[in-house]
Amino acid sequence: MSWDDLREWLPQLLAAAGGTLKMTALAYVIAVVVGLLLALARRSRRRGVAVAAGWYVDLMRGTPALTQLFLIYFGLASAGIVLSAFVAAVIGLGLNYAAYMSEVYRAGIAAVHRGQREAALAIGMTNALAMRSVILPQALRIIVPPMANYAVSLLKDTSVASLISAPELMLRARDLSSEYFMPMELYLVVGAMYLVMAYPLGKCAQYLEVRMGKGRVAS
Amino acid sequence: MNLGPWERFAAQFPYLMETLLLGVEMTIIVTFGGFVVATATGMLGALLRTSRLMVLRVIGTLYVDVFRAVPVLTQLFIIYFGLAEIGLKLDPIPAAIIGFGIHGGAYLTEVFRAGIEAVHRGQNEAALAIGMTPAQALRIIVLPQAMRVVLPPLGNYAIGLLKDTSVASSVAAPELSFRAHMLVDQTYLSTQIYLTVAALYLAMSLPLSRLVHSLERRMARGRVA
Repeated sequence: MSWDDLREWLPQLLAAAGGTLKMTALAYVIAVVVGLLLALARRSRRRGVAVAAGWYVDLMRGTPALTQLFLIYFGLASAGIVLSAFVAAVIGLGLNYAAYMSEVYRAGIAAVHRGQREAALAIGMTNALAMRSVILPQALRIIVPPMANYAVSLLKDTSVASLISAPELMLRARDLSSEYFMPMELYLVVGAMYLVMAYPLGKCAQYLEVRMGKGRVAS
Repeated sequence: MNLGPWERFAAQFPYLMETLLLGVEMTIIVTFGGFVVATATGMLGALLRTSRLMVLRVIGTLYVDVFRAVPVLTQLFIIYFGLAEIGLKLDPIPAAIIGFGIHGGAYLTEVFRAGIEAVHRGQNEAALAIGMTPAQALRIIVLPQAMRVVLPPLGNYAIGLLKDTSVASSVAAPELSFRAHMLVDQTYLSTQIYLTVAALYLAMSLPLSRLVHSLERRMARGRVA
């Protein structure tokens, strides 16, 4: 690999890394929102809703994200719903991670002592208000660290979206690799780029873990 | 005669299933192989991380930080396409097993380290005091107690790995997802085939996660908080 090669690759790879970050951010938003809805649905008093949400979580967690991406991208296309690869990847990864997030919320909500909810209801709060202003704020401290860790894995998992040709870092690397025939150099550079993105994010997650753990009473 | 996709799928089902089951077999082989390599690498990594020698600790930390921060797909491509470029041509299956093993080893290093550190150091001191060698103390006293902390995350790692092996299809390892792509290319029955594939993965991962859960419960029993 010469410096000239690197100079040609870098602008393209950096632009593609932008795609990776965009995909990560969008899928993460979907995962955080849908995950919360799922966690609430699983606590629903309507049994049908709770069971359906439980099934969703088991199905999504029991199958590879890659299979889900193929179903959303190719499967929906054969049913007449044509999504761009990028949109399919955002939806697929978002819905996949939502299943994991819902478990994080669930653990967080379960960790708040039930007396808190009873007290909130006793002073006349509605169920929704008790959840929003009493339970979730306390659950946050347990929810945030694993959630931050999922952001790091999501960032890395977006690489799988290259297999449905969604524009992100790995796809660009594969294209360049078939153009320059220097896979070793290219994938090492790309690996370093992922490292530069994921490592600081991982450190943030670690910091949050320490911070949120401070002052917590062991149960 | 013009058949709909589901009719065509039903007509070809035995052939499709036969091919997919070959893939299932290979998925299990890659998962098992990757798991063994990852466990061995993770043990080694944990020993490095807890070593008294600073150099070894730094090497262990670097290994964990780097291999956990890079997607496994990138690591597979380096091992499969990258090594081939410099003259070391691996077959897809060994490449996948090594790739998943080294990547997973970085995770398991932290799991094993946490397990070792969770055992009170007095246990080790007592073992040495009654005349055990450090290796004996580790094997007979520390590791069995560490197992209880290690088993649940180890089991979860195995479940994750089973699903992650789908990514090995991109280096042409003939596992379940790879077989599925080939069949979709032949038949264009993408929805039907990928749904079947999802069901097959479920059939593997659900029993595995039940097993891990029951292990977790057994391990939690009688533990002092």
